[in-house]
Amino acid sequence: MSAIHPSELAFITKHAPFDRMELGHVMWMMERMNLGYYAEGEVIVSPEQGAVDRFLVIKQGVVHGEQSVAKASDADTWLELMEGECFPLGALLASRPVASVYRAGSDTFCYELPADAFRELIGLSAAFRDFCTRRIANLLEHSKQVIQAQYSQSSVEQQSLASPLSAIIRRKPVTCSPETSVRQVLETMREKRIGSMVAADEDGRPLGIMTLHDVLDRIAIPQIDLEQPVIEVMSTQLNTLPPQALAHEAALMMAKHGFRHVLVVENEKLVGLVSEKDLFALQRVGLRQIGSTIRHAATPQVLQQGAADIRRMAHNMMAQGVAPEQLTQFISAFNDLLTARIVELECKASGLTGTPLHEGLCWMALGSEGRFEQTLNTDQDNAIIFEVPAGMTADQVREKLLPVARRINETLALCGFPLCKGEIMASNPKWCLSLEEWKRTFNAWISGGSPESLLNASIFFDFRSLYGAEHLADDLRGWLARVASDNSRFLHMMAENALRNRPPLGMVRDFVVGKENKLDLKLNGITPFVDAARIFSLAAGVAQTNTIQRLRASAEKLNMHASEIDAWIDALLFIQVLRLRHHDEVSAQGAGDGELDNLIDPEKLNELDRRILKEAFRQARKLQARLALEYHL
Amino acid sequence: MLFRLTGWFRSKPQLSPEQQSRLSAWQALPSAELKTPVVESRCVVVDVETTGLNLMQDRLISIGAVAVVNGKIALGDSFYVVLQQQAASDKGNILLHGISTSVQLEGEPPVEALLSFLEFLGKSPLVAFHVTFDETMIKRALRDHLGLNFKHPWTDLAYVMPGLNPPLARKYRALDHWIGHFNIRIDARHNALADALATAQLFQVAHAQAVRKKISDMAGLHDLEKNQRWVSAVS
Repeated sequence: MSAIHPSELAFITKHAPFDRMELGHVMWMMERMNLGYYAEGEVIVSPEQGAVDRFLVIKQGVVHGEQSVAKASDADTWLELMEGECFPLGALLASRPVASVYRAGSDTFCYELPADAFRELIGLSAAFRDFCTRRIANLLEHSKQVIQAQYSQSSVEQQSLASPLSAIIRRKPVTCSPETSVRQVLETMREKRIGSMVAADEDGRPLGIMTLHDVLDRIAIPQIDLEQPVIEVMSTQLNTLPPQALAHEAALMMAKHGFRHVLVVENEKLVGLVSEKDLFALQRVGLRQIGSTIRHAATPQVLQQGAADIRRMAHNMMAQGVAPEQLTQFISAFNDLLTARIVELECKASGLTGTPLHEGLCWMALGSEGRFEQTLNTDQDNAIIFEVPAGMTADQVREKLLPVARRINETLALCGFPLCKGEIMASNPKWCLSLEEWKRTFNAWISGGSPESLLNASIFFDFRSLYGAEHLADDLRGWLARVASDNSRFLHMMAENALRNRPPLGMVRDFVVGKENKLDLKLNGITPFVDAARIFSLAAGVAQTNTIQRLRASAEKLNMHASEIDAWIDALLFIQVLRLRHHDEVSAQGAGDGELDNLIDPEKLNELDRRILKEAFRQARKLQARLALEYHL
Repeated sequence: MLFRLTGWFRSKPQLSPEQQSRLSAWQALPSAELKTPVVESRCVVVDVETTGLNLMQDRLISIGAVAVVNGKIALGDSFYVVLQQQAASDKGNILLHGISTSVQLEGEPPVEALLSFLEFLGKSPLVAFHVTFDETMIKRALRDHLGLNFKHPWTDLAYVMPGLNPPLARKYRALDHWIGHFNIRIDARHNALADALATAQLFQVAHAQAVRKKISDMAGLHDLEKNQRWVSAVS
């Protein structure tokens, strides 16, 4: 015999999802619940406890979810749960340990339903099931953290590249006044065992920085007077970021420009210093170092080494659970550096550098590289735009450029970017064109509309300049934005074409799978988003090539809701996470980058990932529905 | 006085063979092991509502009880019963406990209600706030209706809480003070089941505090209670 007091029932039915459930189901649940007490500060659920064994609803009190396991008590609180809220839904559905520590923020009582009963209730109550599914759809963001945490379990201490710089700054920066003597500064640096010194004015505004590396070049070799003010030998070109900026932004800044330090500045005041060492203490190869190797490489062998470093770094980052958006940005940024250096070296080697032909050459990235969405198994897609110098014909220029382009393509292949099977490369005479020829070619595709034109448009219209005469690419982009947005027939056909690729959601089963019961995450998952974003951006005259940026930038012009856009982006990123994780798993089993595929077996996903993937595909359908609406399809 | 005399001379209550065998079955259960840690055992937190506060005269109206199993309140393992009354209690009292005249008259026959209570209880140790009141009322009802001499281990939170929180001992006397102090919300005060639940939550707090003082079982709480009774008596 059991008795539940009406006031308990009244409390629980005030909160979602219990307010929408049948009373019988709520009673069924309550009869199986325990009421647990947790004193302030006590751990309620933690990763160490293994797979989550119960579903909790807070009766009273506050529960904090903390990200860092090692230093839970002083870690930043990132999740606060209040009365009536349920946790930890995701980990429970996936039968895995939680990623964060849940701790009582005050004396707390929780209703607790054992995991078995929780699963039974999902089968019993449609309202409860809906809640769990929808919550999880909203929790896409959260699931990314779960996956990241899962990946970084082996190195809990390691800072994620997604943490804000404010979390990475270890101590107050040591500063000096600009008038301090060089000798004094060097002594302080030795005394405090620090690698750098920042000069700041009385209000704490940074004026200059000196690092140990500068000592040789700026002090020792020129043999300067050690009594002169330090500011005179300091570097005053400062690289600053706000404390809210993420670690990966600092890393990218260091890598692109070759700095070792980034100043963290808030309201103009110096609040901290982040060094390369802080960011990649555990990584074997520093990002900046890779960047610098590539920038200064003089031979294909060194470049090959750089390419290998990029791959190793990408695998490391994948293993650390770096978010897909950042990871693909990293890969693209480094591949850009590498490609630009190869183009530069080959132009020099072939005597092109310094001639008008070199002045008027623009090397373009196409396809996924053009969209900044490269993963590890992308082959090369590139092209050239050139200016025709006075007194020459386009064919004459092409004749000069093609052999150089051929060498560039071959060197890229040596560095691990396989030659494009479809011959979409700058060494193909069809894709080494003058600006005028490009416009004619694009125009023919836009007004033609054959299947081949549409396919070409989907690759070439994601172009961006990677080396050389950027203004040519800008000119072409501006022209395309005008022409394409005016041509609704062409956009209509592009949309029709894009809609042929339906996300594989089944009526009976969760997913419609291809041969061998596999889903193609790239073709079925990512392509619908990429295609739709391209069409939206062409229609809106948006210059960006990156899918996420295209969606964001088109939203305003096409009157789409920000929340709608966010849901699409989250869905795209989730599919990208699964795809990268699949790549990582396959390479961990010893597959080379060339063997990486995008095929996964949905049956092998856990419950949570399967649900989220289904939701992500649903978002892809919504996006397509929007496309269909826009073009009356 | 008249009531006590009638009580003494009243003949032993008549139980049906079935009721008698239920009672014997309960009596035959092994008694509670008080040295088992609370987190590995079951205890029952109880609260009663009566027709008034007179221990000798007033009658039991309802019993509410919740089980604390392995340190957690098992919501499904809870008990509530209204005992059928010969006459309903007066109006002021009804306003307090909220059990209307008709409900009082329609309650379970006392023998059945009390047998169900015993069966729910088993031999698990009891916990209450101001044990004297609950114990006396339950004891008297069991004697009158079942002819049972009810000797059961009880723990009194009215002494345990001051024992664990000496600085608060002078300020707090009533259950309301303590549950207020620990922010335990109670939506239906003076309902035996709701009060028992709030008392059980207070017991969970007490248990967590006691564990920090290396007390983890009922026997330890009894020692603490005994000391506090002595402290209260001399201070």
